[in-house]
Amino acid sequence: MRKVLVPLAVLAFAVAPAFAAGEAEPEVESITVSVPWAGDELDTFMPVVEAFEDQHDAQVNVVTQRAEDLVEVLPAQFAAETSAADVIMMWEWWISENGEHIMNKNDLWERYEDDMVSPPIVDAAGDVRGVSVSMNLKPGFWYRQSFFEEHGLSEPDTHEEFVQLLDDIQQIDGVEAAIGSGNGVGWPLTDIVEHFIINYGGPELQLDLIEGNVGWVGTEAEDMFREQLVPLLEAGYFSDPVDFTEMIELWWDGDYGLYPIASFITGVVDDPDDLGVFALPGQRAVVQAPDSFFIPEYTDNPELAREFLDFVLSEEGQAVRAEGGDRMVPSTAVPDDAYPPAMREVASLAAEMETLVPDLDDEIGGDWQSTFWDQLTLLWVEPGAIDDVLETIDAMDVE
Amino acid sequence: MTKRRAELAHAAVFVVPAVVLVAVFIVYPALETLRLSFFDADDNFVGLQNFVQVLASDDTLNLDRFPNTYPAWGSLIHNAVWILIHLPVTVLLGIVLATLLHNLRGGAAIKGIIFLGVVIPMIVGGVLIRFMFDSGAGIVPNFLEAIGFEGVVTRSWTAYPQTSLMALILGSILLWTGFSLTMHSSGLSTIPKELYEAADVDGAGTLVEFFRITIPMLAPVTTVVIAMTLLWEIKIFDIVYAATRGGPGGSSMVLSLQMYNYAFRALEQNLAATVGVLLAVFTGLVGIWLMRRNAKEVNG
Repeated sequence: MRKVLVPLAVLAFAVAPAFAAGEAEPEVESITVSVPWAGDELDTFMPVVEAFEDQHDAQVNVVTQRAEDLVEVLPAQFAAETSAADVIMMWEWWISENGEHIMNKNDLWERYEDDMVSPPIVDAAGDVRGVSVSMNLKPGFWYRQSFFEEHGLSEPDTHEEFVQLLDDIQQIDGVEAAIGSGNGVGWPLTDIVEHFIINYGGPELQLDLIEGNVGWVGTEAEDMFREQLVPLLEAGYFSDPVDFTEMIELWWDGDYGLYPIASFITGVVDDPDDLGVFALPGQRAVVQAPDSFFIPEYTDNPELAREFLDFVLSEEGQAVRAEGGDRMVPSTAVPDDAYPPAMREVASLAAEMETLVPDLDDEIGGDWQSTFWDQLTLLWVEPGAIDDVLETIDAMDVE
Repeated sequence: MTKRRAELAHAAVFVVPAVVLVAVFIVYPALETLRLSFFDADDNFVGLQNFVQVLASDDTLNLDRFPNTYPAWGSLIHNAVWILIHLPVTVLLGIVLATLLHNLRGGAAIKGIIFLGVVIPMIVGGVLIRFMFDSGAGIVPNFLEAIGFEGVVTRSWTAYPQTSLMALILGSILLWTGFSLTMHSSGLSTIPKELYEAADVDGAGTLVEFFRITIPMLAPVTTVVIAMTLLWEIKIFDIVYAATRGGPGGSSMVLSLQMYNYAFRALEQNLAATVGVLLAVFTGLVGIWLMRRNAKEVNG
């Protein structure tokens, strides 16, 4: 027995200092902020973090975690009353449904609500649980101005001109397809579908689909697919789904003429000044996907987390974020000239619209969202499967 | 303290921590999973209702599509197809390669390279498969196009329902063959040379030696390879998750990923537990077969 216990005791003494060192209090207060961005997209957010650190004697550790991954781990973390980050960016529907694990931000929102165009995220009881700190707009079809000039192309004013434009691009030597289809887990394809939904049935159709007032079979939504989108897919104007970051390079190199994706693209291309964007002719609304932050109940440093969120929502924080260039900010206190030129074009296009509408799949979320993504990846390569695709989507509950 | 008690205390120091860990992290979760599979979300006993719901779902078994058209056929059939193709190919490839590379100069290096597929994380393996079968960067579609093929096999395999499952299966053969090769290589080294020398004296050719000596003598190793490969195929998850997430349109969905989606997407813990129990039953059957086979060999 002694032969066992003595070595164990020696081992315990040997490793104890290491554990003790690990528990030492940090000299500077710190929080961890979780965002889904990486690379260039993250670079445009970092000035906000650095500005906060400059003003506070604190350290902000930024970690990259996508919402589609967080949705799978946060429930377990919250059940264990812990959290991997102190401030977390997440989908709105998820924040609303998990209010009991999230700090109340009614007081914070009251200070900023008059200046914000985005509504707060509230739980079933109406308490504010999350706030939108920036917005990704889905304005339509991006193109390179130099590409259009080189090939004598111009933005369409009618649906016929739009189809003609696709045809013209398709004829250009070296072009694989008129429109590049980016794919992540299915979500950039949803941006395209939503753009067509709004174009066909107006913002009302998008909102009705979100609320579950309208189904996907035997409705305007089905008509849109059959009359507008499927014919374009069958004609081969859309490429096969390709990883959305890889598609940025392929499109930029001229393999594809148009790339429908969110406004974050202005922050990741080599020359944002060469970007042009147009919406489908007759478009009345543009989708805005908010970057929504929340503070979990289980943060170790709620005061600093709240100070960080306060700074991000402040006029100064919003202005710094706007200067980053790939996001709009919800604060009306930030002037238009705070944005770089490419984002000003997005802002101008958005200003021509009647309204901003929420992102359809982000708003519904849950199992419906992943099914929607999966079915769209099928539709993109098998437009003839439209019946099965719509029936599958329609069969899912919109909660 | 008597000597007997001292011995027991001594043994307890080693046994108790392991028993506690196994009880807390294996036995309890397994029993809880089994319990959940017979209850609904409100914790009411529902008998076999969850099993009926899972097995009746098109996501698990879609007999309207199988075998009349291309996937989605349901995760259960996808797993079965995976086993039907992957198991014989990896086992045979392992035996053939092990035989060819045995005593070959540089054979160890080649075996090492092939074994790399086993040691890389399978999540990376999934990404590799995606790129291997990508129409832009992938070697497979571009090679097929270069030799005159047309149609979906020259496109991105993981994007099309006709090819996504096959891309994963073929890719997994590449990744897993190293296991079969390494096991059979070590088995080959245990076969007495005298057997081959005697066969040579009797005038047996290479093929006869392969089928009459090599394969029978490798049988115990092959049994282990088959069992381990079956278990690997039944629980396959990471490759699919990284390469296709079960799509498009569920055409490459497998049981483990379906369980994961039930648990973390749909938040249907009881259905996830049900799939988990089904997986445990399937793997248990393999385990029982392996144990009986081993017992048979030991007892002659």
